[in-house]
Amino acid sequence: MKTNRYITLLLVIFALLTLLTVAHLCYAVYAYEHCSIIYFIAKELW
Amino acid sequence: MNKKLLYQIGSILLICAFFLSLNGGMYLIFTGRLSNNFSSAAQAKMIDVSKYLPHEEDSELPTIAADLPLKGDLPVLDGAAALVPVYAAIIHNVYPEGSVSYEGGVFSDDNFYGENFAPDSKMQYKNTVRGFEAVVNGETDLFFSAAPSAEQRQYAKDRGVELVYVPVGLEAFVFFVNEQNPVNGLTVEQIRDIYQGKCTNWSEVGGVNRPINPVSRLRGSGSQSAMDAFIGSYDPANKSPFALFGASIGFSFRYYMDGIVGNQAVKMLALNGVYPSEENIQNGSYPFIAEFYAVYRADTQNENIPLLINWILSPDGQRLIEECGYVAMKESEPT
Repeated sequence: MKTNRYITLLLVIFALLTLLTVAHLCYAVYAYEHCSIIYFIAKELW
Repeated sequence: MNKKLLYQIGSILLICAFFLSLNGGMYLIFTGRLSNNFSSAAQAKMIDVSKYLPHEEDSELPTIAADLPLKGDLPVLDGAAALVPVYAAIIHNVYPEGSVSYEGGVFSDDNFYGENFAPDSKMQYKNTVRGFEAVVNGETDLFFSAAPSAEQRQYAKDRGVELVYVPVGLEAFVFFVNEQNPVNGLTVEQIRDIYQGKCTNWSEVGGVNRPINPVSRLRGSGSQSAMDAFIGSYDPANKSPFALFGASIGFSFRYYMDGIVGNQAVKMLALNGVYPSEENIQNGSYPFIAEFYAVYRADTQNENIPLLINWILSPDGQRLIEECGYVAMKESEPT
């Protein structure tokens, strides 16, 4: 793979995965504010 | 395959593995535990309204020999999720059959709040925040809830509406943790310190070395208003972001937790060494007992409301409250 093409591909993959992670975080914040706290605590990992 | 290509593929795979681990870890520790209230399936877990439908054969509502002949305009009843069994039982025992109706003719829990009561139904379920607004705006005649928040009182005041709050039963305000948490009780002072951010690790209160995540509710919900009254003003956001990954403590009303949700993976904590049992609530030894109220507009013209209130406070009405799983007012308190 040519270097330019590799860097472009790398940046596109990185940007996509970062966007997905940000979306995951936004969902988590929103859902945390509206979740059932009984189930949140019941599912805690010990 | 040359070395350069292997390096390029390896680096791409490494980036993918990093993000996969990051998101997978977040899901396992945090996101996977979030059952939200805006899906009807999760809402049904908050309270399965279908179990508490008046005049239905398979209803779990208690039946007593009630003698209260209501005539004319029957009051529309609504309330907090935790009090659905109470006001549904009142309708079940006092109102005539046909008082409760559903959009489409059949009960369905596919709607936003897990119910589809018709606009002319005498039973509604809007839960605390929307239900309080409904009683202020005159859509609901009698609303059952914990003590309203300062914002809710202000909401009524801003609209020039005076409300009457009649205590009709008692309920314990409880704190709970995961069943695996070794802590079984806390003092009132420790609870205050935890929620005010002064105590941040379970090891400080006899537990394991793990951060405490003090969980709060939506502002305006019945349990959050009770919590505010209990510990005074506090900022729910005043905690370390790492607390989210610690072991949580939450609060609710006893019957909602124990009787309605009944999740065995959480346990209620003793407060000052007193467990929130029915006996300890009624004898007053449990330190945090809250009254719950029937709320109506002072300017109501519905002549059935005083009749209904008097009946709820009568021995028959208080027996019904107890049979719903709550605690009756002390004998001297009914008027």
